[in-house]
Amino acid sequence: MVTDPLLSIQGLSLQYATQRGAVHALQDVSLAIPRGGAMGLVGESGSGKSSVVLALLGLLGEGASLTCDALRFDGEDLREAAARLRGQRIGVVFQDPAAALNPSLTIGFQVAEPLIQHQGLSREAALARAVTLLGEMGIPRAAEIARAYPHQLSGGMKQRAVIATALACEPELLLLDEPTTALDVTVEAQILDLLEKLRRERGVSMLLVSHNLGIVDRLCDELTVLYAGRVVEQGRCAPVLAVPSHPYTRGLLAALPRLDRGRMARLVPIPGGLPDLTQPMPGCNFQPRCPFALDACGAPQLLQGEARLSRCHRAAEIEGEAWPIPEAPEAVARPIPTPLLVAEGLARSFGGGGLFRRRAGTRAVDGVSLTIGRGEVLGLVGESGCGKSTLGRLVLRLISADAGHIRFDGQAILPEPSIAFRRRAQIVFQNPDSSLNPRQTVDEALRRPLIRFGIASGEEATREVERLLELVRLRPDYRSRYPHQMSGGEKQRIGIARALASRPDFLVCDEAVSALDVSVQAAVLNLLTDLRDTLGVAYLFISHDIGVVAHIADRIAVMYRGAVVEEGLAAQVLAPPYHPYTEALLSAVPVVGAQGRAKSRIRLKGDVSSAQGSAGCRFAHRCPRHMGAICDTVTPPMLAFGASHQIACHLPAEQLAAMPLALG
Amino acid sequence: MAGFLARRFLSVVFVLWAMTVMVFAIVHILPGSVAHMILGEYATNAAIAEMEERLGLNLPLYEQYWRWFSGLMRGDFGQSLTMERPVGPVILEALGRSAILASISIVLVAIIGIALGIHSATHVNSWSDRGLTLMQYFFIAVPEFFWCILVIIFFAVWLGWLPATGYTPLADGGFLGWAKHLILPVSTLVLGLIAHVSRLTRSSMLEAIESKYVLAARAKGLPERIVLRRHALPNALLPTITILAVDVGILIGGIVVVESVFAFPGLGRMLIYAIDHQDIPLMMGGMIVITAIYALANLAADILYAVLNPRIRVTGTAG
Repeated sequence: MVTDPLLSIQGLSLQYATQRGAVHALQDVSLAIPRGGAMGLVGESGSGKSSVVLALLGLLGEGASLTCDALRFDGEDLREAAARLRGQRIGVVFQDPAAALNPSLTIGFQVAEPLIQHQGLSREAALARAVTLLGEMGIPRAAEIARAYPHQLSGGMKQRAVIATALACEPELLLLDEPTTALDVTVEAQILDLLEKLRRERGVSMLLVSHNLGIVDRLCDELTVLYAGRVVEQGRCAPVLAVPSHPYTRGLLAALPRLDRGRMARLVPIPGGLPDLTQPMPGCNFQPRCPFALDACGAPQLLQGEARLSRCHRAAEIEGEAWPIPEAPEAVARPIPTPLLVAEGLARSFGGGGLFRRRAGTRAVDGVSLTIGRGEVLGLVGESGCGKSTLGRLVLRLISADAGHIRFDGQAILPEPSIAFRRRAQIVFQNPDSSLNPRQTVDEALRRPLIRFGIASGEEATREVERLLELVRLRPDYRSRYPHQMSGGEKQRIGIARALASRPDFLVCDEAVSALDVSVQAAVLNLLTDLRDTLGVAYLFISHDIGVVAHIADRIAVMYRGAVVEEGLAAQVLAPPYHPYTEALLSAVPVVGAQGRAKSRIRLKGDVSSAQGSAGCRFAHRCPRHMGAICDTVTPPMLAFGASHQIACHLPAEQLAAMPLALG
Repeated sequence: MAGFLARRFLSVVFVLWAMTVMVFAIVHILPGSVAHMILGEYATNAAIAEMEERLGLNLPLYEQYWRWFSGLMRGDFGQSLTMERPVGPVILEALGRSAILASISIVLVAIIGIALGIHSATHVNSWSDRGLTLMQYFFIAVPEFFWCILVIIFFAVWLGWLPATGYTPLADGGFLGWAKHLILPVSTLVLGLIAHVSRLTRSSMLEAIESKYVLAARAKGLPERIVLRRHALPNALLPTITILAVDVGILIGGIVVVESVFAFPGLGRMLIYAIDHQDIPLMMGGMIVITAIYALANLAADILYAVLNPRIRVTGTAG
């Protein structure tokens, strides 16, 4: 006998009224979650993932109109019952815990609120229960935390509090909307462990919305892939991710830089962008971007299959056919990596100051030396707050250093660098929305550096702007566009084109692809690789995403609290021997197809900011391989493993070398 | 928190001292001789010299400043040049009457402004919101003196309901007489400010309503009434509190105009009188008192803001 699923969505369609006409955000979406089951809902931004969550909660807001065949939760119609069930039998965790907590209420009260509301508990009883809940979420000294305000907690602690709130009334279903996207990989791993434990011990059902396939693979049994408001593939998680059937799912997986697969020459970018949702296509809406498309794709497609559903009539036909990978331009002979940028003993503190006496600030970068060769990519990884971005700005002399020297191409670079250095060393910022002037067209933004650095002017500059656009694969007519007329990926490409305008030899990429969807990220990463191969540009590539760094970097430096703790060739850093911090970072990365690895994972307690040790190893307070007093008191030596691999650790070299592989 | 308050308090003390220097400098840079003014056009040089000697005007400026400043520190504002009375009590009397006007106004501005702002934010794009928006822009744009004249013509001259000018103390005229003299000045003073405060409250309330934490509060299954009152409103009011302190400054500026038009014997009218008659001690005293009120209003707003905002009240990290 088949029991009714806990949650059943059938034929859900959703339209938002906008000035351009109705946007068909969801079209005929169906999914079901059995009791105790976990469903992953994946897709790129704009696919309508979050709309599903809001529709279930009845919180769509004005201007949204919803139609469906069924929207049932445990036999009740959610269209009427959502207001009564949410917070009580359906709990929600939103993306950014810093935004989801009210800044002017205590943590304890916010956790207690649903208990007061739904279970009629007194304020005291609810607060006492909240402390217990916080404790169960793995928050140390829960009573103290309950009296604290959100701004006093780290990101991971905040998300635990949000999860505690969602679980307060012991809901049967937990909706998780990108629950770890705003968090560091080590903290993300802690939260995923917690969610896994909740599933195992309490049998909570979950709907996990995420763009990260690795997370979905870890937590879910089943998977629904959403593209532009339509379900394109649905089935058991492991087989779908192992052998995806719909071209879009295949593209998503091929576009993903995979840490477990090591360095690949090319990623697969999915060309084009989302279709216009004001005019839904009758046929397959992925057709314009699909390399397998035929004329017959214009006909309406059915979601078909047995255990595994796919909305593609060619699914069986094209099985085994690989995505065509765009050809790389011919690489020029890589120059022998002679040092281009040499930085020694860079240091910078923030805060401090004080009116009457100098207070010690936070040492964001504390005596870092690094060398980047011509045409070489140095990846810089570490959790947020490790000083990565500060270091990126220091090597360009964009912010002043407290100490240290920089040599670029043999010449000393002083605190007020010459225009020649500015021309040759440029930066690409993380967020193109805030780094592009909203009142400047692309042409103005790209022309400015050309004139400033005396590279071209007038007619010649126009041709140069067009050449730059071609370099980042944008049509010449983008010249007249303003930032708001472009997508995130296009804006980031303009950011790269602007940095390339002065024909630099060296680029600092500060989280340059972090805000992009994987299909666009793949295109930008390919572009950066091509530029390195054809123009010999060197990069300092800063990213929290180790998969991306592993894909692009020749060498990797791992940073922790202002210092480099490990440095070496990419392959060396990604394989044992590891610095214990690198080991923990790698172990925390959720990798697709790695189910069952969980037991061997290394978990870090706390986060970068917790506990400030001034002497000894910077990582001592969180180190799972802590040896004893020596780690807390003596600065660790730099151990060399071969010519180019260095690890700052007290552990004996043999013990480091004997570490198991951290990646599955 | 204690450190924050101590710093704010020190800065207020510094601002007040700096104002004494500036007020003194401005007044003494102004052209014209006080002795001339008092003695009239046909005074002899000897008489003027004698007058200047008596008033201490022939002393070096820093010594004149010190005399005045040390007097201030003792609570002595000096002697009025035109009224044959000490300045202190004159200011105090005028201040008392202005304070009635100002405090009634600011309370009305806070209550009505915030209430209208919340109404607009919770009824976005409704007819009442649109109507209020239109009126608010109108009241912000049109200056006070225009309303002064309009309400005098309408309520005092045509309808004859309310007195056009003057003031009756509570003891003399009873509540009705007292109130009648206040209605017109107060209502002209508050129109623009209510519009200002409600615009701001509307936008900060809207921002709060659209925030993630309000969405999260709704997802907890709380009734909308509690979501708005407990989650949205406290955060939305923080910027309003700051702006209310700034509005005290605007209010004082408005009082000078309104008191002149309605012949209301308050601080503003006294200041105009002092300037007209070059009564320097009175002028300086009045200006210092107004600055002090403004600075203290800002200090009060900072304290209130700190009390309501845990990010300032509670520092340090937990866990």
